Amino acid sequence: MELDRLFKEKNYPFNLYEVDVFSASEQELQGISDRMGIALALPEMKRIKDYFKNKKRNPTDVELEALGQAWSEHCCYKSSKVPLKKHVFGIEENKIVAREDAGVIEFDKNHYYCVALESHNHPSAVEPYGGAATGVGGIVRDVVCMGSQPIAYIDPLFFGPLNLPLNEVPKGTKHPRYLFKGVVDGIRDYGNRIGIPTLSGQVYFHKGYTGNCLVNVGCIGVMKKEELIHSRAKAPGNIYIYVGGKTGRDGIHGVTFASAELTDKSEESSRSAVQVGDPITKEPLIHVTLECNRKGLLEGLKDFGGGGLSCVSGELAYAAGFGAEIHLDNIPLKEEGLLPWEIWVSESQERMMFLVDPKNVDKVLHICKQWDVTAVVVGKVIDEKITRVFFRDKKILEMDMDFYTGGPEYDSCQRPYIIPEIKRVDEKDFKMPDLNEILKKLLTCPNIASKEWVIRQYDHEVRGNTVIKPLQGKIGIQTHGDSTVLKPFENSFRGLSVTANINPRFMERDSYWGACSAIDETCRNLVSVGAKPDALLDCLNFGNPEKPERMGEFYEACRGLGDTARGLKLPFVSGNVSFYNESVKTAVPPTPEIVGVGIVSDIRKCVTSDFKAEGNPIYLVGKETEKEMGGSEYYNIMDFNEGIVPKADTKQLKNCMDSILSAIDKKNIASCHDISEGGIAVCLAEMTIGGDIGAEIDVSNINKALRTDFKLFSESNTRWILEIKKKYEKEFEKTLKKQNTPFIIIGITKGKKLIVEDKKKMVVNLNVSILRDLWKNAIWDVMG
Amino acid sequence: MKIEDVKIAVLRIEGTNCEQESLDAFKRLGANPEFVHLKQLLNIDCNKDEKREISQFHCLMIPGGFSAGDYIRAGAIFAARIKSKLNKDLVEFVKQEYPILGICNGFQVLIELGLLPGIDNIISSSPDACLNINDSNRFECRPTLLKHENNGKCIFTSKILKNEIRLIPSAHAEGKLLFPLDKQKKYIKNLEENDQIVFRYVNPDGNYEGYPWNPNGSISNIAGICNRIGNVFGLMPHPERSYYKHQHPDWTITKLNSNLGDGKAIFESVLDYICKRF
Repeated sequence: MELDRLFKEKNYPFNLYEVDVFSASEQELQGISDRMGIALALPEMKRIKDYFKNKKRNPTDVELEALGQAWSEHCCYKSSKVPLKKHVFGIEENKIVAREDAGVIEFDKNHYYCVALESHNHPSAVEPYGGAATGVGGIVRDVVCMGSQPIAYIDPLFFGPLNLPLNEVPKGTKHPRYLFKGVVDGIRDYGNRIGIPTLSGQVYFHKGYTGNCLVNVGCIGVMKKEELIHSRAKAPGNIYIYVGGKTGRDGIHGVTFASAELTDKSEESSRSAVQVGDPITKEPLIHVTLECNRKGLLEGLKDFGGGGLSCVSGELAYAAGFGAEIHLDNIPLKEEGLLPWEIWVSESQERMMFLVDPKNVDKVLHICKQWDVTAVVVGKVIDEKITRVFFRDKKILEMDMDFYTGGPEYDSCQRPYIIPEIKRVDEKDFKMPDLNEILKKLLTCPNIASKEWVIRQYDHEVRGNTVIKPLQGKIGIQTHGDSTVLKPFENSFRGLSVTANINPRFMERDSYWGACSAIDETCRNLVSVGAKPDALLDCLNFGNPEKPERMGEFYEACRGLGDTARGLKLPFVSGNVSFYNESVKTAVPPTPEIVGVGIVSDIRKCVTSDFKAEGNPIYLVGKETEKEMGGSEYYNIMDFNEGIVPKADTKQLKNCMDSILSAIDKKNIASCHDISEGGIAVCLAEMTIGGDIGAEIDVSNINKALRTDFKLFSESNTRWILEIKKKYEKEFEKTLKKQNTPFIIIGITKGKKLIVEDKKKMVVNLNVSILRDLWKNAIWDVMG
Repeated sequence: MKIEDVKIAVLRIEGTNCEQESLDAFKRLGANPEFVHLKQLLNIDCNKDEKREISQFHCLMIPGGFSAGDYIRAGAIFAARIKSKLNKDLVEFVKQEYPILGICNGFQVLIELGLLPGIDNIISSSPDACLNINDSNRFECRPTLLKHENNGKCIFTSKILKNEIRLIPSAHAEGKLLFPLDKQKKYIKNLEENDQIVFRYVNPDGNYEGYPWNPNGSISNIAGICNRIGNVFGLMPHPERSYYKHQHPDWTITKLNSNLGDGKAIFESVLDYICKRF
């Protein structure tokens, strides 16, 4: 195909092409999109052709690049809008104060909290250190640009198995161990440097992530109510001030790169799409942004995210019904010779756009100068719904806002989908193995074993607000906690709690119940420390949406999330959809990562997961333990593929949450831990590890129809193990009985061993120190 | 002087990031701390009302963080920028026995400045020690226990009994105190003789033990030292992160009671000193 004839160079003092879409055939239109790497499909290219026909001129290359960015999957969610609207949106919306780059919710009478969650998957798969670092850098800007001070990071990560044999690493893919280390290094070096604690997250290993690791990043901020600022202009005449790092060729086509599958060529072809992070430009950028905002000098504020200058300047004006006039000449560049379209769409990091009243421009520039942060005036808001861009006095882009920034509506043309069939394979009978051995093995499973290797590399205490840490218990021998808690304000004991969850093994078997389970676990985790669930965030990582089966998984997951959140009256305040998480051979398991935020009314009542004292009764609270072994860690190590995934019931969950929270409020509970991967046995083990106190357990009264191994290792939802302070035993039982919350006494804290009996038969008898060593060392041994 | 008149400069440049909690620690006790960007002392890009002099303050505090990214050697760039113009003012400040505190990155800056260990002079022209990369070769964020070994010289620990053990957490990648190899023994002996050793890392039994209780491999388990006068103090762990009991990692095991954290005494001690001395 001879495309050259369609690209006509303009007689300008710089490189600019007019692209002849008028005379292009359909095939050539697609060819233009492919050649420019803008990932637009034929219907979109035809729409562009029609638009410019109306305008009686051909588009410039800048205009086509800009449309490629503005209309990409990443920017306007063309595949996901329908199922999201149907299921996920519209839950408790009145609680949400604002939903722009980040979601804003009331924290107390005078304050809001602000949260955002997104994915940075493809860049991290190609360049783990830079990809992860810039992911962290991007999400913090989303929170800052609402006017809030960031106070915590949450980083859920997903990799292939750490022990993957080298010959099984697909061509063009990096070994999971390399990716794991690179990503953690990147988050550590960036997050620690800008002084925001990394508080929570999840690290999960599964072969489905081998070709396409997932790096999700979340951030929480807090602000006074009057500090909330929106990503939109206030009035025509507002001045655009470009603040922060320089613009370079890094991060070009990042958005379009995220909207296509990874291939074995991604390394070479897409390296330039990964931005370069610079935390020491970012740190003062946060200072100046918040300072200018606190002083009331800003009219509007937005960070440079996907699509760069093109998206940020358009969206600020479009959101207010105005237009924008931008001059590219003053944009500070990392290197000479950037073409106008490169400047317009580059996604270089550490940049913010301020909208400022002309009378405040000098004040803003002064504050920036004090922190040595670059700031230049680049344009103004205009009273027509048009974006115009100039370079060296030549107009290089002029498009109507509704067409350009508004983006195509896809409601009427949704992608085809096939709802996956849930396979019901009869479970074969097998002889019960030695449960001591199984428990020991489970504790070394990478998805259960201690994540200390990661947690200690992140500064989780900077800013001094972390009151319940990610590792809990006696110092030197801490165990995993369920959630972390922050106390954001000096004069208040009100706390914010965060946690992150998804069980990909459930998801690959049943997207609906897997999604329900994720929210169930999130709520369990928050309640364990004494936090009342307040809001959810979702980062939906899925495969190629052009494949109906993937789209079907997406639909089912959205339905599960929607049903559960609606039942619990929890809004989704912010979220992100990441499709095309597929590589050469496989798609990732559907991974709708859920981050939960809870409110602690008084942090002094918080509870941790480590056993506190000998002689306290231990209770199992919640739903009946069922033979729901599908996707369990137990079946995984036994290499069984069968079984059903745990179901969830929001009514029962709500009932249990209320009872446990009220018992925590009455200070009845000494320790509390939710039951998830590895079931009751692993939950108990973790509680003994952190407290260095053993337990004597009798599981005879747990679902009597079940065999001992299913009792111990089932991962049924809505269950917790609680250690109750001896003297409050009666009060505690009364609280639960009053609400008809199911509970069983299963034993007492005692000695230095974990002993489990079922019907008079001892099935587990292990020293706490042995459990600890196995659990604690498993990942250290691999990663060093 | 009265505590509300005690002016403290919490110094910062790009990459400083423990300034808020450090400022808060002084403020809670009733003193008058203020963020001061180094450029305000150097009189660069300042309006008239933004200019500051070291002599306007009764205490300088350099908080933790990654000043200028710590890309060369932790604290080196911050120290070089201070030293280029403020060397004289700084020496005068120390001579007049006003206190200087450096926590974590601030300790690294004090070492790079030559204000610590300060065995022979108030300030040495080139660093006499360094805070090297941790033995584990990575950033470590973990609770550490510090044994107070000072006999009374250090004005920042007057409210802590000798041999008391305090939980003050660490979070750094470069905290291994080292001296020039040929002078190592002599320096440690000098520090001990001059009562310049303030804190050493210990395990929960109060004994010296290697990693992880000593999180970085620091020589002789040293966590914090003061100069010969006792008014310049640097330590790697973060007392501002255990000001309250609820910041301790294990408070849910014991009780909060009066919510008194192990790090608070350091801020109380220095303010007490200033109020009495000036």
